[in-house]
Amino acid sequence: MSEIIAVPTDDLRLEIKQLIMETLNITDVRPESVDNNEPLFGGHNALTLDSVDGIEIIMALQRKYKVRLNDQNLARHIIRSIDSIAEFISSEKSRV
Amino acid sequence: MSTIPFQHKMGAHCESGTVTSLLNHAGFPITESLLFGIASGIFFGYFHKNRSFTFPTFILRNRPGDIRMNAEKRLGIKFKTYSFTNPVQGMDCLDELLSRQIPVASQVDFFYLDYVPAWERVHINVHFMVVIGKEDSSYIISDSYFPKPVKVAEESLRRGRFAGGSMSPKGFLFYPLSVPHDIDYTQPVLKGIKKACFNMLNIPIPFIGVKGIRMFARKVVEWPAFARDTEHLSHEIMKINILLEDQGTGGAGFRYMYATFLQQAADLLNKPHLKELSKELMVIGDGWREISLFAARIGKNRDLGTGRLRELSALLMERADAEEKFFKKLKKCIK
Repeated sequence: MSEIIAVPTDDLRLEIKQLIMETLNITDVRPESVDNNEPLFGGHNALTLDSVDGIEIIMALQRKYKVRLNDQNLARHIIRSIDSIAEFISSEKSRV
Repeated sequence: MSTIPFQHKMGAHCESGTVTSLLNHAGFPITESLLFGIASGIFFGYFHKNRSFTFPTFILRNRPGDIRMNAEKRLGIKFKTYSFTNPVQGMDCLDELLSRQIPVASQVDFFYLDYVPAWERVHINVHFMVVIGKEDSSYIISDSYFPKPVKVAEESLRRGRFAGGSMSPKGFLFYPLSVPHDIDYTQPVLKGIKKACFNMLNIPIPFIGVKGIRMFARKVVEWPAFARDTEHLSHEIMKINILLEDQGTGGAGFRYMYATFLQQAADLLNKPHLKELSKELMVIGDGWREISLFAARIGKNRDLGTGRLRELSALLMERADAEEKFFKKLKKCIK
């Protein structure tokens, strides 16, 4: 049997960018300037976050998408970029 | 030298993840959460400012090394361990073990691992990972914090293994010599839970277990007196978030992992009530995460007035009450 791979949409990526910006009250960055694949941490993306922002993002994702990110190691990798968050949300949605 | 065939797995915590991977490699099919529970990994300790600690701090799991040693004692596993004062001997020993196709756990200072992104590097002398091979001047590492095996330069690994400071690794290495077959988990699980309940409820030390959470709640309002200035205080308050979420999996993570253990324990001991307690502990874990978020927010915004610290204190006191009720029920359930 072939595995069903959930492909995230551009709408979902945009929604995630908006969620992050609303959560962290970021108003001086345009969503389209945020690279989907570049790490959100470390200063290489238009949206540059620090580790303290990480917990805010995890809790916002849990609330909005009704997912659980209990394993912090896994969570750290999931919130690394917009693409990795979108892939996780898509795969969680496809399980429902 | 080549890479030893080794099943890499991500783990929730470096020590339990490392020990689990090594045991699985040796043919002992245990999960990380079951190992964590049997080894009584859940814990709390608050350390107020004293000669050893220049600023108050806390821990949320048992001492580094206890997961391995408790597993050894309760599951009948034998580990071979090595410590070194001489880095050359320490690196030679590692090479010799790898040449014998033995994957070996290594204790390191996380800061020196060059595969870790620069913004995530902090000095933690008690990080554990498995060395599974060597290619030219790099070692191949199975680090449970990362999704795939990684490479570390020989010099970086040497510096990490022989870093100085508190709890310095001293080149510590270990691997399982023998593992049991056909184990009955009943006694190991019961002993693990009893010891965890003792640590959290009855240990006669005022800064350990539930008493330690209450001490943390009472003392956190005094933290401004120990800080040099607002910047220092905000750094220390934000460290609550880092200790709860980043370094060593933290409060919520350890509570979630113990909740998973209780699910497994319910089946192994045929005590369905443990599944209810597991759900209760997940809610307690969410409460720790709220504390983490609160500390991150007030620290980052430099919003550190007495009122805010009292709010933080109240949140911690709630966790103490919740954990006290929880561990009393757990203790009663396994009597």
